[in-house]
Amino acid sequence: MNAPTKAIGSAPTARRSGPRFRLTAAQRGILLAAGIFAVMFAVYGWKQSVGLTPNVINTAANKGALLALVAMAQTLPILTRGLDLSVGAVFVLANCLASSVVVGDPMMTGVGIVVVLIAGLLCGALNGVIIVYGRLQPLIVTLATGAIFFGVSLAIRPQPGGSVNFEFADFMTRSTYAVPHSVILLVMVVVLVWIPYRRSVLGRAAFAIGSAEQAAYMSGVPIERAKVLAYALSGFLAAIGGLLLTALTYSGAAKITIANDYTLNSIGAVVIGGTSLFGGVGSAIGSIFGAFVMRTVGDLLIVFDINPVLQPLFVGIVLLVAVSIGSLRILRIKNKLDLYR
Amino acid sequence: MKAFRVTSAALAALMMSTALASAGPATVSGPGADPACFTPVAEDTAYFQWEARPGPYKIALVNGFIANDWRVQMIAVAKAYAEQPDVAANIEEFKVISVGEDIAAQIAAANNFIDQGFDAIIINANNTAAFGSVVRKANDANVVVLSFDNVIDDPNQIAINVNQKGLGESAAEFLLENSDADPISLLHVRGPAGQPVDIARNEGFMEVLAASGRQYEVTDVVGNWAPGDSQKVTADAIAAGGQFDGVYVQGGSQGAATALLDGGHPAVPISGETENAFRQLCNAEGLLCQSGGTGPAQSSVTIKTAIAALQGEVIPASIALPTSISYAPFAEGVDVFPELPGSFFAGNNFEACNIGFTAEEIAAQTGENN
Repeated sequence: MNAPTKAIGSAPTARRSGPRFRLTAAQRGILLAAGIFAVMFAVYGWKQSVGLTPNVINTAANKGALLALVAMAQTLPILTRGLDLSVGAVFVLANCLASSVVVGDPMMTGVGIVVVLIAGLLCGALNGVIIVYGRLQPLIVTLATGAIFFGVSLAIRPQPGGSVNFEFADFMTRSTYAVPHSVILLVMVVVLVWIPYRRSVLGRAAFAIGSAEQAAYMSGVPIERAKVLAYALSGFLAAIGGLLLTALTYSGAAKITIANDYTLNSIGAVVIGGTSLFGGVGSAIGSIFGAFVMRTVGDLLIVFDINPVLQPLFVGIVLLVAVSIGSLRILRIKNKLDLYR
Repeated sequence: MKAFRVTSAALAALMMSTALASAGPATVSGPGADPACFTPVAEDTAYFQWEARPGPYKIALVNGFIANDWRVQMIAVAKAYAEQPDVAANIEEFKVISVGEDIAAQIAAANNFIDQGFDAIIINANNTAAFGSVVRKANDANVVVLSFDNVIDDPNQIAINVNQKGLGESAAEFLLENSDADPISLLHVRGPAGQPVDIARNEGFMEVLAASGRQYEVTDVVGNWAPGDSQKVTADAIAAGGQFDGVYVQGGSQGAATALLDGGHPAVPISGETENAFRQLCNAEGLLCQSGGTGPAQSSVTIKTAIAALQGEVIPASIALPTSISYAPFAEGVDVFPELPGSFFAGNNFEACNIGFTAEEIAAQTGENN
């Protein structure tokens, strides 16, 4: 599962730096996160009593893909040097909405899926519009809208429940020839959403904004549209995550702990994946591996029988170490003055 | 849009293929085995029977949320029970894990146990509605699924129920009875938001208040069933000028009672859980207390049920556990245990199930994974 994404990641390098093989910071981040994940997952497989059977891999993929989608959603605003504290809430909102509308015959189910995705897109676009045209801090705006989105989730589903088209749910969460469909979903999102976005004018503009917003402005980069699109796509990706959660749980639940967990873990996953919190450097592909690293930490704690009360402590330590390794910022700084920006 | 077309095409293709046949227990007619212990919830409760398989069995307990005394004791009691000689004879491996509040992690943990060939998995669910896929997969793999405390909604598994709603109802009845205030102002110290037990208890509590015909006002705070949290939020509620005619605390009861006393609030009636410290405090301070719950030992009843099901016994799909409610002053050695830690929950003996523990047996265990 590493192979295709790595190939995708390294394609632009070859073009940009000619025959000399040199990785960009984002690609180094992806490779590092993928490496950490591969090692951790191998250890997990070795400690697992049945090894890495297709079912065990499928279970891990389903769990990891949820966080991976939310982490990808988090990546886009962070690349513009923003932050989205509402991704978890959009994820939960999509779950609650999906448990009401993704039902019935294939036609209705299809319409329901589109409704959920559009809802996510609108939530994200709302964030973007308020941030850009209200000229407000992303942190505060998304904190507030996150609360609003969670409130809407509670209104839709005051108690856990609802249902989902069973065939759709089963299809999304099983595997074919040991390839989990959730991984295929991630690859599809990368190919159909992330790469086109990364190569589009507005996508490149997002990177430019993250690097130096004023310079981008002076160069005539469409800052406003690029930011709104970044947040809108963020909502869209979080909604895909919400759909997958619905498929996994056959139901919807508005739980604030889930929203908060995924929001905070998504930031961790983004950083482990090599995306700079200062914006301008990174990749949603790295965030996928970052998310799988975060999830595998939890699995390792289980197979090594760590006292559950101490689990947050271990997760925190792993996060800190991973972030330290991944963001040895000084090494990738071109100009010492950048340290003080 | 392309993604959508691909997905819907795949979906349509899938739907044309045959529907999955779900295996699992046979639904049979009652009565079931040991009806004194495995009491059906209602007369029309279905009965399940799995094909008997030779022991000893591999049983896993998949817990979610862990950070309170009740859950720690629940796990300790489960381990103590699994180590009692006549139980241990039937158990090859008893595995406990706690995954925290994330529902995806709990589903994944349950799936992993199914894949590892466990005979039965016992779940205290983070979300009662979310285990449809797990139950389905388990039944396909002929794994017995049981749930307790926060029971799973899916009908194709065994649910060990405590009448949580009834506990909320009796709390409301007790507080209404012991105050003449009209309108009556009550403080409700609730559990973690969205937990099924919290929802059920709140429902019962509010229904009785609404049906009482009296005017009432309920202040909700979230104490997470933990003494520290309950103490803090109760203190906050009092500090914010709250004057209450009664307190219902779902868990961490000693915390709420302590905050009430420390805050200089009048000693109003308190309905709480079954913590030893709470009962001791009620006795020491002469508070008017109701203390009710079903002890954490329900985990051991669930293990007993799992073994019976694996042995091919006929078991009700929905089992009712007794609740015990006592009132201050609490009798020493019966309802309150001065020699045991304050965090100890009373009510660990289910005589009808031949389940009982000494305090030492429970104290020898921890809430850790194994």
